[in-house]
Amino acid sequence: MWRYLKLFYWFTLLHLKTSLEYRADFFLGVFSLFCIEGSAVTVVWVIMRQISNLNGWNFNEVLLIQGLVFMAFALSAIFTNNLWSIGNGYIRTGGFDRLLLRPIDPLFHLVVDRFEKNNIGNLLAGAVLVGISSSALGIAWTPFKLFYLGLSVLTGATIFTGTYLITAVTAFWIINSHPLTFVVFKNVEFVKYPIDIYPSVIRSMLTWVIPYAFVSFYPASYILGRDSGLMAWMGVVVAAVLLFIGRRLWFIGLRRYASTGS
Amino acid sequence: MNEVIARPRTEVPLIRIIRRAVVAYAALASISLKSALAYVTANWLEFGLQFLWMAAFVYFWRAVYAGRPTIAGLELHQTLDYIILSTTFMPLVERFLIVEFGWMLREGQLAIELLRPVDFQINIYLGQLTGLLSSLLQKVPLLLFAWFFFGLRLPSNPLIWLAFAVSLLLGHAIMFCFGWTFACLAFYTTETWGLYKLQVGLARLTSGAMVPLTMMPGWLQTVCQSLPFAQVIFVPIALLTGITPLSQTPQVWAVQVLWLIGLLGFSRLIFHLAIRKVTIQGG
Repeated sequence: MWRYLKLFYWFTLLHLKTSLEYRADFFLGVFSLFCIEGSAVTVVWVIMRQISNLNGWNFNEVLLIQGLVFMAFALSAIFTNNLWSIGNGYIRTGGFDRLLLRPIDPLFHLVVDRFEKNNIGNLLAGAVLVGISSSALGIAWTPFKLFYLGLSVLTGATIFTGTYLITAVTAFWIINSHPLTFVVFKNVEFVKYPIDIYPSVIRSMLTWVIPYAFVSFYPASYILGRDSGLMAWMGVVVAAVLLFIGRRLWFIGLRRYASTGS
Repeated sequence: MNEVIARPRTEVPLIRIIRRAVVAYAALASISLKSALAYVTANWLEFGLQFLWMAAFVYFWRAVYAGRPTIAGLELHQTLDYIILSTTFMPLVERFLIVEFGWMLREGQLAIELLRPVDFQINIYLGQLTGLLSSLLQKVPLLLFAWFFFGLRLPSNPLIWLAFAVSLLLGHAIMFCFGWTFACLAFYTTETWGLYKLQVGLARLTSGAMVPLTMMPGWLQTVCQSLPFAQVIFVPIALLTGITPLSQTPQVWAVQVLWLIGLLGFSRLIFHLAIRKVTIQGG
């Protein structure tokens, strides 16, 4: 475990150094993603200024939800986005063999092979949103609440990564797993708003099937002091279960892998 | 004898040039149509994605309207029709030439494109136009779904459809010219990903793809109207959903034609200047 932490540190450092080699490119990438999220938030503002609340949630509360989504998504994207490209980038080209030859866990190697630097922009945008909305809402950041915020961002990121992993494993059978990962991920659109605006079928799906509601809705409810009961802490369990399933499927798929033959 | 041979030679060239041009451009156009329709899985995937996106928006807007008869003068069904159509057409403002230019530049393909005996800009435009037509065809099932699940209502008056179609084509051409001008930046920067994303962010907000422009505060509407993105989403869809009454069609078209003339001239000028900067680095 210690060895992998050290390796993770070295890989990340290496990626950061490479990114900063092309400084203008790096900052433009970060800035442009920041702007995309800015335009999304402006749209929410345009709509929310016409109404006092959205099913009982005011503008700043919706912003808090969006901030949590951006932060968790960005964190998972920065470190684990390479799961998206296993099919086209590794299995189809035969590049996956390279990972198998190294004396480290191939899944770990796949994940650290890329560092999605541009998403630092998303992470910043999310943090700014959480900061602005919580100060407007007068949320007192006690050490315990800060801990809960950190935990929920980490949990949310793990939930995203878990769904990427489970869908990425299908690449061992269908080669191009990217479309599947994309369709599952796209459900993130729903959790950018409080999920109690959706019919119960969609709510259950977002809680138990593609559990993105644990990224934003339940943590935001807890932070805002709304009654969310056990669900406020359930995300940790859900994230762990997703990772566990993903890891088991990974081993099943790996056994099936037979390289390209070219 | 000489006269007999000479006469057809002096008359035919123009026809022959036109015919040759038509054959060449038609062939180029059909290639991009075929390649767009070849990836069936990708098409179904896009369908799934757009449906999810649309569903999220429809429920969101229903919650927004809860207990409110109108917002900024629009009723719920009007806004829903508008949002369903705008999310369907949103990909139109998310395909930008800058990525293509950057690729052509890095691969050296640009040199080959410039050597072809057809006008480079017309060639690329035809590719985009057939791309528009094939993506419109692909939208039909999505709109049927939207009609079935979300009660999308489309007008029955053929004149409204005509107004919409012309406005969409004009808007598409305007966006093409804008995208062309913007893509010339690739000749200076060679990096394109960040610029592309910047354009997408701007387009999402100011095209009216996510919210009808009439709901925006006045100053933001002014900003949106001074950028070209609204011409391909808000302007045509407002005609189709009746937000802009049919009687205003001539003015709408006239404004679009002015945009097009201005941007067409500008795009050709900029390309002419920027192409001098290009150094093809092999390929």
